[in-house]
Amino acid sequence: MASDTSKHVVEMRNIVKRFGNFTAIHNANITIGRGEIHALVGENGAGKSTLMNVLYGLLPRTEGDVLLRGKSVHFSTPNDAIAQGIGMVHQHFKLAPSFTVAENIVLGAEPTLAMGRLNMRRAETETGELSKRFGLDLDPRAMVGSLSVGLRQRVEILKTLYRKAEVLVFDEPTAVLTPQETRELFATMRQLAQSGHSIIFITHKLREVLAVSDRISVMKQGEIVATIDNKDVTAQEIASLMVGRSVLLRVAKDEAKPGGRTMLNIRNLTALGERGENAVHKLSLSVRSGEIVGLAGVQGNGQDELVECIAGLRQPAGGKIEICDKPLGATPADNRALGLAYVPADRGGVGLSLQSSIWENMTVGHLPKFKRGQFLSIGDARARADELIKRYDVRGATLDKAAGSLSGGNQQKVQIARELSREDGSLIIAEQPSQGVDIGAIESIHRILVEMRDAGKAVFVISADLDEIFSISDRILVIYRGQIVADLKASDATQEEVGRYMGGLETPIVDTGASVKEPARVC
Amino acid sequence: MSVETLSAPTTRPYLTSLLSAVVNPIMALAIAGILGALLVMALGENPFEVYWLLISGSLAGIPNILVTLQMMTPLLFTGLAVAISFRAGLANIGAEGQMLVGALCAGIVGFAVDLPALLHVPLCIAAAFAGGMAWAAVPAFLRVKFGVNELVVCLMMNPIALLLTGYFATHVLKAPGPTNKLPDVLPSAKLSTFSFYSQVNTGLILALVLCVVLAIINARTVRGFEWKIIGLSPKFAYYGGIDVPKRALNVFLLSGGVAGLAGAEQVMGQFGAYYDNFSPGYGFDGIAVAMLAQFHPIGVIFSAFLFGALNSGSGVLQMMTGLTKHLVQVLQFIVVLVLAAKISWDWLTHFKKPSEITMRPSRSSTTSET
Repeated sequence: MASDTSKHVVEMRNIVKRFGNFTAIHNANITIGRGEIHALVGENGAGKSTLMNVLYGLLPRTEGDVLLRGKSVHFSTPNDAIAQGIGMVHQHFKLAPSFTVAENIVLGAEPTLAMGRLNMRRAETETGELSKRFGLDLDPRAMVGSLSVGLRQRVEILKTLYRKAEVLVFDEPTAVLTPQETRELFATMRQLAQSGHSIIFITHKLREVLAVSDRISVMKQGEIVATIDNKDVTAQEIASLMVGRSVLLRVAKDEAKPGGRTMLNIRNLTALGERGENAVHKLSLSVRSGEIVGLAGVQGNGQDELVECIAGLRQPAGGKIEICDKPLGATPADNRALGLAYVPADRGGVGLSLQSSIWENMTVGHLPKFKRGQFLSIGDARARADELIKRYDVRGATLDKAAGSLSGGNQQKVQIARELSREDGSLIIAEQPSQGVDIGAIESIHRILVEMRDAGKAVFVISADLDEIFSISDRILVIYRGQIVADLKASDATQEEVGRYMGGLETPIVDTGASVKEPARVC
Repeated sequence: MSVETLSAPTTRPYLTSLLSAVVNPIMALAIAGILGALLVMALGENPFEVYWLLISGSLAGIPNILVTLQMMTPLLFTGLAVAISFRAGLANIGAEGQMLVGALCAGIVGFAVDLPALLHVPLCIAAAFAGGMAWAAVPAFLRVKFGVNELVVCLMMNPIALLLTGYFATHVLKAPGPTNKLPDVLPSAKLSTFSFYSQVNTGLILALVLCVVLAIINARTVRGFEWKIIGLSPKFAYYGGIDVPKRALNVFLLSGGVAGLAGAEQVMGQFGAYYDNFSPGYGFDGIAVAMLAQFHPIGVIFSAFLFGALNSGSGVLQMMTGLTKHLVQVLQFIVVLVLAAKISWDWLTHFKKPSEITMRPSRSSTTSET
């Protein structure tokens, strides 16, 4: 694709986006040509969605220029962006299920008759014409709630086309689709591109990138590290661009001395996801005392369901879980009694009560210790919380301050302090322990986990961040589509290798039905 | 988007947060007072005169105070019942129905069983508690077991209770005579009154003791702690090992039982029998009382006193001016509206461009500290 500016529909120049003093996007440059399918790939949190939200007017940019057809534009709301021909197909559909297809498509841009009456007939004919023109077969009068996920996505696409979008942003569109629906979507994308639309395709699935895109931009830690033509690149190269790091954080630690005891033993676990699919499928793994096992994987491959099963927050559909040689209990309280300490990823929803004070947050889960008859020894509970604040260096914390007023890193320390301060906790599950945590706190959190390992506890870390996995794990498991596809010794593994397993490139499981070698034949 | 200004309201120290608990109701009362004054002026009366009548009519002299205390007693029970459940995140707005069923149970046991007073009174009170609990068991069970919205179920249970108790008072157990009521309770089941000026009775003492006991339970016991955590974040409570379904069920039943006691006090203390349709809506007023009290049992004492005073003053108001006693209800509703809108403290301190608050990504607060 030539770099002649007139050919570029969208050009984003030196975009910088900061939240407070956290920089989410550093100097990103990207150009989108007319009729181009441009893939934007990167790990979770690399800044793909943030960059697109800047383009779409959902977030104001801190610095830089957005040029649309060569002219500088400044969108303050998505409506501005839509008026200029930019459309977004969201991952989570924004549709009214009780409305028909046509009603959803015209919603907010309704054709009207005199006196502001809704012209439903025109809406239906226009919808029908539009869906025929782009080969997106849909009944304008069908109720959206009765449609399959793939068809609902078509409604989303038609919605943007109805608003005359020329640039369509697809935010991880295949995450919710079946392989068959994915193939149909790719056909649609090609057809749109041929009719002069430009498509930005956000994803982290490498096969799909190679199957459908013309050019590929790789994002890493808020920067666009490369923009490459599809024909010049292999999946391995993209994987290494995505995960390769200039700086590697590693915690200084001795060789693991795993004890003989299996603290977590999972056999043939099957668990259903929110849509009733097999999110975890006949998965088996084990974690022994004295080792840190890291579970790597792209988000949405069953990690959440797996952890919820272990924590007692979700009922497994099959298989068995043993904690410290005993079968999993029925409630979180039972599992705590078995020796499970769980640091959840969802701090605000599960791991903390943000409105409650810090001492209260540190006391939940330890209530039996402070029970004096029916009474709660508030003095003892507060004294212990005070001690934990000091021991775990929770900055800015006082006993009566609301947990929600702390920074993310310090909220995480409150959770960790509460969970790891249990004398009887022998299995520690830390889910995304460094998510939303700044570097200084990450190091101290990792150090604490290593100390726990050295004290003979079993530590199981689930993380979407490969750096974190490599930094602290003794053994690395990779989860892909609900199954463990690799079990590697951390000191022998490379990030590229793990990245390939995460992308499903080294498994016999076919996801899109497309072969990596022949991307053009997908449609 | 500055992080410092956004986190400022939540970092307020302990004392100010205590203060804010009192500021909310006081602001609500002030706003209601001002709006009420405007309304009175629009009706052609002098607001100062009207407010003075309300105050003197409810508080000037022993007889007036005794009437206020009488009016306050059922509100103490229903207000406390609502406060208990709301603090645990359960919206028991069925106190009206629970009170009616409790009253019916107390009324039946009061006339049908003959026992010495020392046993009869506790038995009637227990019957009322059990009746209220049984009526609360339906929404409680549906909520805890199947996640059915308790607001809806409570709202439906209220008229059912009214009609069911009405059926007993007009057909099944109707006392002879023109009035739709059960036979009078035996003297051994009566709560003693303090003076001939009003019907205020030992039920008031029971209510006050209950408020204090629940304040202690809330503040000092493991159960009270668990209820609070469940109310603020049930997911977190469950994850933390609290048996959320069981505790929620218990709180709901306790709340219903306390509401049932309001019925016992009415039947055994004020009327001496179960009268059909006796309640002017004490169960609903209890919601307002609990809201004004910010769901604190001690706060319930103050707000029930205030609502009782307004109700007793409204009688005087009706006699002395051209206004009806509904004015007082309007004042009470304004208080509830203001509290429900959560204006006052939160509104003043969080007064910022809404976009700045909602657009902030959840994790960006992680950055500045540490």
